[in-house]
Amino acid sequence: MKEPAIVLKDLSKSFGSVHAVQNLSLTIAPGTIFGFLGANGAGKTTTIRMLCGLTRPTGGTAAIARHDVWRDRQMVRTQFGYVAQRFSLYRDLSVLENLRFFGGACRVPRVELERRIGRLLRLSDLEAKRDTEAGSLSGGMRQLLALACALVHDPPLLFLDEPTSGLDPVHRQQIWNLLYDLTSEGKTIFVTTHYMDEAERCTEVGFIDLGRLLAKAAPRQLKASFKTRLLEIEAEPLMPALVRLRGVPEVLGVALRSGRLRLYAADPERLLEIWRKSWPFPDLKLLGERWVEPDMEDVFTAYSQGYVALLKGANS
Amino acid sequence: MKGMSMRAIASVAYKEFLHIYRDRRVLLLLLILPPLFTLLFGHAFENTQLTDVPALLIDRDNTPRTQRFIDIISKDKTFRWSRPAPGFNRESDLLANGVKASLVIPAGWSDSLSKGDPKPVPLYLDGSDTNTAATLEGAVQLNLGKFQAGERDLIVENLPDDVIELGKKLPIDIRKQFVSLMSAWSAEAKNLYNPKSRFIDYVFPGIIGLILQLLTVTLMACTIARERESGTLYQLLVTSLKRGEIVVGKILPYLVVSIVLILVVILVTLLHFQVALYQPAALGLICLLFLLCSLGLGLLISAFSRTQTQAIQFSVFFLLPVFVLSGAFAPLEQLPQTIRYISELFPLTHFCRAFRLVNMYHAAPPVYLADLIVLFAGAIITFLGAAFLLKRIEQ
Repeated sequence: MKEPAIVLKDLSKSFGSVHAVQNLSLTIAPGTIFGFLGANGAGKTTTIRMLCGLTRPTGGTAAIARHDVWRDRQMVRTQFGYVAQRFSLYRDLSVLENLRFFGGACRVPRVELERRIGRLLRLSDLEAKRDTEAGSLSGGMRQLLALACALVHDPPLLFLDEPTSGLDPVHRQQIWNLLYDLTSEGKTIFVTTHYMDEAERCTEVGFIDLGRLLAKAAPRQLKASFKTRLLEIEAEPLMPALVRLRGVPEVLGVALRSGRLRLYAADPERLLEIWRKSWPFPDLKLLGERWVEPDMEDVFTAYSQGYVALLKGANS
Repeated sequence: MKGMSMRAIASVAYKEFLHIYRDRRVLLLLLILPPLFTLLFGHAFENTQLTDVPALLIDRDNTPRTQRFIDIISKDKTFRWSRPAPGFNRESDLLANGVKASLVIPAGWSDSLSKGDPKPVPLYLDGSDTNTAATLEGAVQLNLGKFQAGERDLIVENLPDDVIELGKKLPIDIRKQFVSLMSAWSAEAKNLYNPKSRFIDYVFPGIIGLILQLLTVTLMACTIARERESGTLYQLLVTSLKRGEIVVGKILPYLVVSIVLILVVILVTLLHFQVALYQPAALGLICLLFLLCSLGLGLLISAFSRTQTQAIQFSVFFLLPVFVLSGAFAPLEQLPQTIRYISELFPLTHFCRAFRLVNMYHAAPPVYLADLIVLFAGAIITFLGAAFLLKRIEQ
């Protein structure tokens, strides 16, 4: 078995009494696209910053290629590229100048750097913009440039903090295509996101909430962790039905999906049986029902809302 | 700082240079302001003598004798006299009259002089600025002295013959002493260290130092703070750049820019004010150490501040006492001893002193060595301090 790219052991970070990250343990194999999922403030960015050696862990350890990310941060930094959540390249420098600066700062030899920049410009489709100031690029192009700058020293590992937030679908697709190209070269990618369709594209996904890791598995495994399929019903009028169903004690949550109401309940079959016998809401009309496979959004809802009763291995 | 890479430093320096070059408005100010300020300050401090001070002259006696006094004092360039109409009696209201002084020759003054019981001449002075008041009083006294000597000569000329005869009976040395007492004794003054007695020669290191201190500290203070504000600092820190490389790379372009500025300013003073430079090599070393110290200080402020606004505010808080207490425009000896200890903390104080010791006193290196050491130590301490603060940002 290949050596893991990243190993986290009980990694923790507290700011005073606020525990941003608590006892996070993870192992990420090389060549993985690891999607780090969680709500805003769940501890995603703090984790990435610790891995980049930008903030000191208050407990536990993290290692990249067996080097401690804090103690050996100067050495570890040659091993990864980092794209921050906020656009943080030099706006008054052109595309080419930004690439040259980060290449020089990472001590890439001049000839090699020019060759690499040529390739990165082609890859990120920025050749026509090479002399444009970074500040006047569109949001999507900025992210592509940030990605190119993070790759200029050809690191085996890439940290991306919400690289596609606020981007249009075309640019999101372009960035993901680029990430696939990179993993096919053997690079490991650690990406945070809160787009569930993007989570589907990762080879592995970890859920973090309130600083704790809730689950880590391949998307398919996570979806398979539900005990049953999910019940979707059609009811009229729709919105009052949503509100009323939320009030049912057995129903943990209700989500509106394409005009149908998806129910999160520990035992939906029994619930449906009862409703078939006697529908408890005379003012609502039950039009039909169907069974669906859970998707990543359901996984995220179940984990972040703590609907453990829905999941296998939970004794409800 | 072992293992610093020239390539990495050059990358940071070039990037920093591009920031300066791209910010055209600041660049323009940077090129225009120093020579402009030098001309402005240079002319402002070129001549410190008071001239054409508006003043009132009121003659309530109106005799040939008072006219002789008025003729003398009218020639003094210190004052620009105006003579109010007879019957004017608001001589003490300087503000309403728009003057700094008013001199009143009282009625019966000539008679009182003749009687050998001179009435005092009232002089109202604007005492709000103590220096001006003292200078004006001195000028009036000087003119009174001239008038007094003239009157004495007149009396001596018109002495009756028998008095002259009486005088001739006195012993020769008594007579000589008496005659010598009739005119003022004088000290023979030789101005050393500033033979042309020009204030500009004294003040010009102050002007250079002040302009450069202002520009270097404020510009430098923005560099790290700007990166922190725009988020680029973290991007910079996750590259494998060492802190020393960042510090040196950031200082270099500003050092080059400020050396150019210092040359421009010195050229202006040389050509326009004809200030002579003695031992350019020694002066160059003093300038270099001063620049390094100021840049380091700016960098320290920068690493300490969270935003550019804060950086500018800290710079102003630092620069304000420097302007007043550094001895750039007035000798430090005017300040009380305790305050002078504070002055010794400012790089500008040491720069001005060392520069003057070389350029005016033509002093040998050991005399100003202490100042050089302080500047050098200041540069080292601020650089290390900035690198240390950068380390703290990571945590």
